[in-house]
Amino acid sequence: MAMTDIVGIAVSTIILGSIYGLVAIGMTLIYGTLRILDMSQGSMVMVGSFIAWGILVVAGWNPALAIIAAFIATFILGALTQLVSVQPLMRRRSAIDFEMVTFITTFAVAMVLTNVALELFGPFQRNVTPVISGGISIYHGVDLPYQSLTMALVSIAMMAALGVFLARTRWGMAIRAVAQDLDAARLMGVPVGKLYPLTMGLASALAGVAGVFLGGLYFAYPQAGDLPLLEALIVVIFGGLGSLPGTVYAAYAIGLIQSAAEVIVGTTWSLPILYGVILLVLIIRPYGLLGKPSEARL
Amino acid sequence: MSGPMLEVAGLSAGYLDTTVIAGLALTVQAGEAAVLIGPNGHGKTTLLRAISGLITPSAGRVLLDGQDVTGRPAEQISALGLVHVPQGDGLFAEMTVEENLMMGAFPAASWRDRRAAVARVYEQFPVVAERASQRARTLSGGERRLVALGRALMRPSRITLIDEPSLGLAPVAIDAVYEAIGRLKESGATIVLVEENFTHVGAVADAVHVVETGTIIASGPYAELSADPAIVQTYLGSL
Repeated sequence: MAMTDIVGIAVSTIILGSIYGLVAIGMTLIYGTLRILDMSQGSMVMVGSFIAWGILVVAGWNPALAIIAAFIATFILGALTQLVSVQPLMRRRSAIDFEMVTFITTFAVAMVLTNVALELFGPFQRNVTPVISGGISIYHGVDLPYQSLTMALVSIAMMAALGVFLARTRWGMAIRAVAQDLDAARLMGVPVGKLYPLTMGLASALAGVAGVFLGGLYFAYPQAGDLPLLEALIVVIFGGLGSLPGTVYAAYAIGLIQSAAEVIVGTTWSLPILYGVILLVLIIRPYGLLGKPSEARL
Repeated sequence: MSGPMLEVAGLSAGYLDTTVIAGLALTVQAGEAAVLIGPNGHGKTTLLRAISGLITPSAGRVLLDGQDVTGRPAEQISALGLVHVPQGDGLFAEMTVEENLMMGAFPAASWRDRRAAVARVYEQFPVVAERASQRARTLSGGERRLVALGRALMRPSRITLIDEPSLGLAPVAIDAVYEAIGRLKESGATIVLVEENFTHVGAVADAVHVVETGTIIASGPYAELSADPAIVQTYLGSL
């Protein structure tokens, strides 16, 4: 393999892995804390893309503003989604198939958001200006667009910030406590009624920021969240449901397999190879890379 | 004269369609250590869970320092100064010992003083200090119990509920646990302690309440009940 190929694979792995990680890590945070698969996470990517379109293209404002606006808007939207589609079911948790019912209720929210976007903006694919244009050649034949570089750096920074938040702050520790032992966390005085919307808001905000960048790579359109949602589901299951480190490893592992397959055997075969590997790994380890047979807890 | 620290009246509670405690009454004065004794499966743990709000009572009242807290969620009752060391310790398995202690000071007022509180717990439990940066799940059963008791000291409390602190421990570890509970009692704390029998509670118990089939069938000072051969032999194992 030529040096160019190796550098190309490495660069592409970091870029793909970072954005996969940012889209998926919120899903893991939610699953680890609330025990639900939040199907509205893709919609948060879509909303983030439209906010980027609105701020960068329609208003012509600063990209940093787009990131901050997407973070705040999807934080609020995610918290509202929790209050509308999950919180009412919390009390009856033990009497229903909570995981399956919330799978459907959050999916319903996603459908509503998609159709609201369709009504507001029509079925068109809107071009989103890259947050930053241009690029550098880092090796013979390997170009690195600044958009991708920024996307990778922001994704890594946000995942690291999430890690610090969970490890060091009062509310971050409370989220981990609830994930590990709900009753004990309540005995400590953790107000779960506030903590659950906070958690889903935070997770959604990460997906919303991912949407700002993905909008620049692809387009903003009502179904822009569908593929990211599917990818996020695959990453979190591959990494082990509820495991944050597992999600990060899985994101980069999937990025690596996809990049390597693209360079070595070409784009046509990269996805079949990727899903073949995922199938194989999950048959050998059905609970994912770092998942435990009894589901990891943050 | 001030009223009791804890007053439970006509309390019924259970799970789904099973009633575990029915019409139970219990009064605990400030500074008193009340011990609930009785065979397993007769409602002692359910009573503690109903008092602290982890389960919602189906009937009756719970007054904490005169304030009606019946049916309030656990996090609110906790914030009023109720500390509950649950059966099985309730430690956060993937968090370190120090993080577990800090969670004991979660309410905003005590969170500010958490460093000083952690230092006090370390001083009182050198074993816990040695394990500070280990994850809770790597500790022995006795160490876990001490962390759970240490965590109960992380904020000021009006009443401390402790559920079977001797459960599953070796005799040496039980001694260490009861030494800590003895210190808690000496500090003037109000304590409700659950145990299966009389064996360990002699040094701390003021009042004893015998719980059977979801209700209290006998109450009295420790000295009195532990001297009653009928009660000791029928319900409580050996002394």
